[in-house]
Order: sequence, then C-alpha cells, then structure tokens
Amino acid sequence: MSDNSISEGPVDVLIIGAGASGAAVAWSLADTRMKIVCLEQGDWMNPTDYATNKTDWEVHQYSKLNIDPNVRGLETDYPINNDESPINVVNFNGVGGSTILYAAHFPRLHPSDFKVKTLDGVAADWPISYDTLEPYFAQNDRMMGVSGLAGDPMYPPKQPPLPPIPLGLVGETVARGYNKLGWHWWPSDSAIISQPYEGRDKCLNLGPCMTGCSQGGKSSTDITYWPEAIRMGVELRTRCRVREVTVNESGMADGVIYYDADGNEVHQKAEVVVMACNGVGTPRILLNSTSEQFPNGLANSSGMVGKNLMFHPVGFAQGRFEEHLDSHKGPQGCCILSKEFYETDESRGYVRGYNMQITRGTGPFSTALQGYASGTIPWGPGHHDAFQKQFDHVAAIGILCEDLPEEHNTVTLDPELVDSDGIPSPKINYTMSENSRKMLEHGLARAEEALRAAGAVEVTSGGPVQAAGWHLLGTARMGDDPATSVVNNWGRSHDVKNLFIVDGSIFVTSGGLNPTSTIQALALYIADTMKKNLANLFD
Amino acid sequence: MSDLIATDNLLNEAQKAIFEALVDTLVPAGEDELMPSASEVDVLSYIVDSAPDFAPQLAAIVDSFNDEFVSSGEERRVQLVQEFEQAQPELFGGLLFHTYARYYQDARVLEGIGLTAGPPFPRGNTVEAGDLSLLDPVMEKSHGYRKVAGVSSDLR
Ligand SMILES: Cc1cc2nc3c(=O)[nH]c(=O)nc-3n(C[C@H](O)[C@H](O)[C@H](O)COP(=O)(O)OP(=O)(O)OC[C@H]3O[C@@H](n4cnc5c(N)ncnc54)[C@H](O)[C@@H]3O)c2cc1C
Repeated sequence: MSDNSISEGPVDVLIIGAGASGAAVAWSLADTRMKIVCLEQGDWMNPTDYATNKTDWEVHQYSKLNIDPNVRGLETDYPINNDESPINVVNFNGVGGSTILYAAHFPRLHPSDFKVKTLDGVAADWPISYDTLEPYFAQNDRMMGVSGLAGDPMYPPKQPPLPPIPLGLVGETVARGYNKLGWHWWPSDSAIISQPYEGRDKCLNLGPCMTGCSQGGKSSTDITYWPEAIRMGVELRTRCRVREVTVNESGMADGVIYYDADGNEVHQKAEVVVMACNGVGTPRILLNSTSEQFPNGLANSSGMVGKNLMFHPVGFAQGRFEEHLDSHKGPQGCCILSKEFYETDESRGYVRGYNMQITRGTGPFSTALQGYASGTIPWGPGHHDAFQKQFDHVAAIGILCEDLPEEHNTVTLDPELVDSDGIPSPKINYTMSENSRKMLEHGLARAEEALRAAGAVEVTSGGPVQAAGWHLLGTARMGDDPATSVVNNWGRSHDVKNLFIVDGSIFVTSGGLNPTSTIQALALYIADTMKKNLANLFD
Repeated sequence: MSDLIATDNLLNEAQKAIFEALVDTLVPAGEDELMPSASEVDVLSYIVDSAPDFAPQLAAIVDSFNDEFVSSGEERRVQLVQEFEQAQPELFGGLLFHTYARYYQDARVLEGIGLTAGPPFPRGNTVEAGDLSLLDPVMEKSHGYRKVAGVSSDLR
C-alpha cells in the first residue's frame, strides 16, 4: 500500500464485481441490513447509448460495443493476453457485467452435469447437486424475468415465469427438420421478457441483443437485481478497480485496495469479501493478492487458482433456405435448442456432449461482411443477387461443447501487460482437448444434417470460433477437499474463511450449456447459506 | 488552413474519381435500379466523418490504381481490384468494411431490400409466435433427462 492511500472504515460485506453473480449475491444479502458495498470497475450503462437506438446500429458491434475487450478498449476494460489460446476471452465491464452484451440464452445445467465422475468416470463431481440449486434456479428465473415453456422432458419439472419468446419462421423451420429426424428440441429458456414484467416492457424483437438492449426487454442485471438491491440499501460504487485483497496477521481478508475514478488508491476495509469478477477477473485478483502468508496468491494453497479454465468451444453451421425466414428479426441468440446429443454415448468417440442452439440471422451489413468472409456473397457484379439469396433466408445452429477441466488450461498474470491502473493483466493459456475437438466435429456434422432436413439448400459450417470465449469457468473450483479445490460447497475459501467466490470460477465442470442461469443460482445459494450461518460464518 | 480532414483536402479530383470507380466496382448499382451504387450513397464523406483513423489511408488505396482504372470496363476493373485485394488484403478489407457499413445503413438501400430505414428501436419487429403443436412428436418420444442416483428431483 502506498503512503498516500486513502483508508475507508470497514463495511460488513464487500462485493467485487457488479455483473451476473455480484448483483444476485448483493440482492440476496441485502435483507440482512448489513452494510454492503459493491465495487465495480465500469460504469452504469445508458440504454440510449445502445446500438439499436442508432442508424448505424450494426457498426457498433465492431467498435465500442465489441464483445472483445481488446477491440473495445474502453478505459473501464482491462486488456487480456490471448496469444496462447485459440479462443479469445470476451466480456463486458460495467454495472451488469457481461449480461450487458450477453445473448440471454438461459438454460440450467442438467442434474447429470453435477455428477460427471460418477456417471462417466471423468473430471470430478460437484459437491452439490441440481437439487441443491433447484429453489435458487426458480428464484433467479423470477428475479431476472425468464421466458420459456414448461414440460421439457430433458429436465425435472420447472415453470418459467413468462411464456416463451416467439419461434418465428427460423424456429419453426428448424423444428420441422428436427421432427423429421426424430430429435429432441424445445423453445429456449431466455432471460428476455416476452410480456411486460415487473415494470419492464416486453422484448420488441430488435435483433442484436449482443450490443445491449435499448428496450430493456433483455434481462441484464443493471435493470433486474441492481435497482432492487440499491433500494434495499446496498451501495454500488462504479469506476472502482480492485487491485488486490488484503489480509491481516491472522490470515483473514481485511479488505481490498482499489483505484477510484481519479486514480486515488483506496484501502476499503471489510469483514467479509465476496469475489464476483468472473472466471478470468477473479483468479487475476487472487493471484495478484500476494503476501508473506500467501506468496502464491490468496486462497491458493491447492495451487488451483487460475487452473482448469473451461470455455465452451463453439462452432456454427448455417443453412440457406429458398424461403424467406425473416431471419434478422427477434433475439439473435435465443430461439429453440436441442439436447439430442447432450449426454455421453461413447460410440461417438468422445465423452459428455453438447447443446444445439438455434440462432437467428444478422442485419444487412453483417450479412454482407460475413458473406464475403465465408465466400457466399462476393463483392462486385454478383453482389446484389447473392445478398438477396442470403439475407433473411438463413438459420444457424450453434454447437456448444462441454469442455472438461484440465490443469494446463490457465489464467495467470501476464509479466508485462497491465491495465490503465498498472494492475497486471490476465494471460490465457488454453488448448482445446481432443475430446472437445471430436465433440465439435460430431456436432457440426449433426447440425448440417438438421439444417438439410429442415430444407436448407446450402449449408456451411466451421469452428471453433475464436471470439467466443463467452463462458469463463472453473478457475477457482468448488470441492470438499482443500488440496484439490479453492472453495467449499458453499463458496467459502478453504484457506481464508471470510473470503467467498460466487462467479463462474467455482464451476467444477462446465456442462454443455450456457452457464449464467447456473452461475446466478449458485450466487443465490451461497448468499442464502451465508445468511443461515451468519452467527458462525467463519467456523 | 484547417488541419481537419475533409473530403476536399483528403483526395484531389482525380483521386476522387478513382475512389468512386473503386467503390462502384465493389457495389455496383442494381440492375433493377432499386439499388444505388456505393458512390451514390457517398462512402467518401462517411469514411471521413465516421472512420477518421482509416481516412488517411485512402490516398494510398486510390494511388494503387491509375487513371486507366476509371475509364476501364467493369471486367477489367474487377480484375484490377482483385489484384489489389490479394496484394493489400488489410487495406482492401478496411475499404470493403467501410463501404458496406455506409451502404447498408442508407435509406434507399434498406428500402431496396425491403426494410424500413432507421434504427430498429423503438419501432421493433413483429415475429410470429410459431406453432407449438410442432412439439407433439417431441413429447410423444420417450426423451428424458439422464437420471442421477440419490437426487430427489429424479423421483418426482
Ligand atoms: C457476447 C456474450 C454473449 C453471452 N451470451 C450468453 C448467453 O446467451 N447465455 C449465458 O448463459 N451466458 C452468456 N454469456 C456469458 C455471461 O455473460 C456470463 O456467464 C456472466 O455474465 C458471468 O457472470 P459473472 O458474474 O461471473 O461475471 P460478469 O458478468 O462478467 O461480471 C464481472 C464484473 O466484475 C467486474 N470486475 C472484474 N474485475 C474487477 C476489478 N478488479 N475491480 C472491480 N470490478 C471488476 C467487471 O467489470 C464485471 O462487471 C455471454 C457473454 C458475452 C460476453
């Protein structure tokens, strides 16, 4: 700590990160009436700044609303070294975290995902089950505003609070293809409100959810959890970037050091510290929190902080149809999904499985640009004809593969790269496993088959997609054994008993589904367990 | 003299003629006259206003072509642009990006492809709810999630 550091009196609970998990944990803890402060390095978003409010809406995804922080390069971002990874980390840093730009596809993990060692002999079982999280999934669905259809045979019974978002021609067309093949499909659970809900107006089918939602129909946590948490007394401080968690002589966390908007170094004292910076941001800060007691970083006696990084390697198959499908209308990433190949069948040459996420098309500019990249729409004399055949005539299937934990896939501190406050940046070392590669290959072939069955006249496919490190998991995993895990079965550090982690870092395995519903259910479960144990929280 | 970049001081008249022929080679007018060519939607001003980092490279791009380019027929121009695309992929990629970016936000173009001009919000789009009876075969087939011993949700 420098000599001119400002010292702030202690708060009861200090949460770092105001994204998906930070918002949920703040809201849940708020009813304790403890003094709760959340530090967030980014800003509040202004919906009028989102792309769909502008004539040049499609261009913004390539610049200041880009999903890759290295491209976006905002003051509130931190650079990430992806040189040793075929997949780039993507995120958003601000109130709402990555939910500002997420697609809001909102499936829960399956019961089997928590027990992969028992069922398939790989990786490790979670120390909790689907049952543990079930009430929190439901609570989170209500808080976020989730649309979907009850009765999916691939889950235990559940009841989304809102009816499903529209299938549209894209969904109906691909569904018919699945029906021909006799495969499973279901309308996706989506964190997008299909009807007015809790003072928010419904989704307007603008299309590109991944540049932020001008309407507020997409459930990002700045418009769901945060307003309520703040009304209940939580203090959210923006433009506060945490450098490290500090400890006292007895090895307990006693606060954090952060830089405020003016670059002042502030030591904020706290009784309890909760990390919610995501699967890359959390290990980064823990590894940067070294001291005599914790020379390898905080909460890291197992050596597992920053290890076992899991993405979901993603590939896409796209089909072109003779019929007009109105493809660019409606939430781009949410429509229907198929779990036909979700569970292990070793005859396929790999273990575990993937989800097939049907996605809608893009706007005209992206159609032209992507058409050039894929060779389907040339520039020059043939441009208009090829464009007309493609635009609004496509449906795509994303293959989202379960990635298994491997210790050599890591987040470490880059020896040179730093953010604007001089804090070391994360460096990603990641190799896609043979298992994931075979799974993706299998999935892309099945996706092509489904699109052809649906009537596509032309199908292209490819993956893994580089700018698709959307899901950041496993880098401070849960477990019963302190030698092999970072936190216990309710998110408390084995080493530092007043330090909790609630974000995607604590996943033991990744499942083959988008993780945010499960991340938030975990955060609510951890908060609830903290509340039940307030009297003996550190025992 | 102003040091602001403006279309007037960025390219001289001869260079502007080459630039227009170049972007019209990328996106010519549609045969049915519904679709304008790229120069008709003023790509040059757009780049100057919206892509100030890219604008200074325009002179280098047009200088890759000589005066013959403007008077050449389409086939020859396409051939010359293909050569440029291969020789200078980054510059070409930037030019194509900004040309398409401008082109596909122009009201005439959007109307030509059947869309309404302007931002999607607050107008929004109508999307059909879809036929949920398509799910009947899914429910008839004995799909089911994988059971996990000892988990009570499996007993419901
Ligand atoms: C383009 C895109 C599409 C996606 N689509 C989907 C989808 O369809 N479905 C799905 O389930 N998931 C999706 N995701 C992933 C989803 O957004 C994340 O899983 C989720 O937001 C993770 O929650 P989190 O709380 O772990 O972290 P985040 O939501 O990322 O929040 C972390 C917060 O911590 C802050 N922070 C980090 N470090 C510091 C520091 N040192 N000091 C202060 N603050 C800090 C950050 O600024 C950020 O606001 C998508 C993500 C992206 C980027």
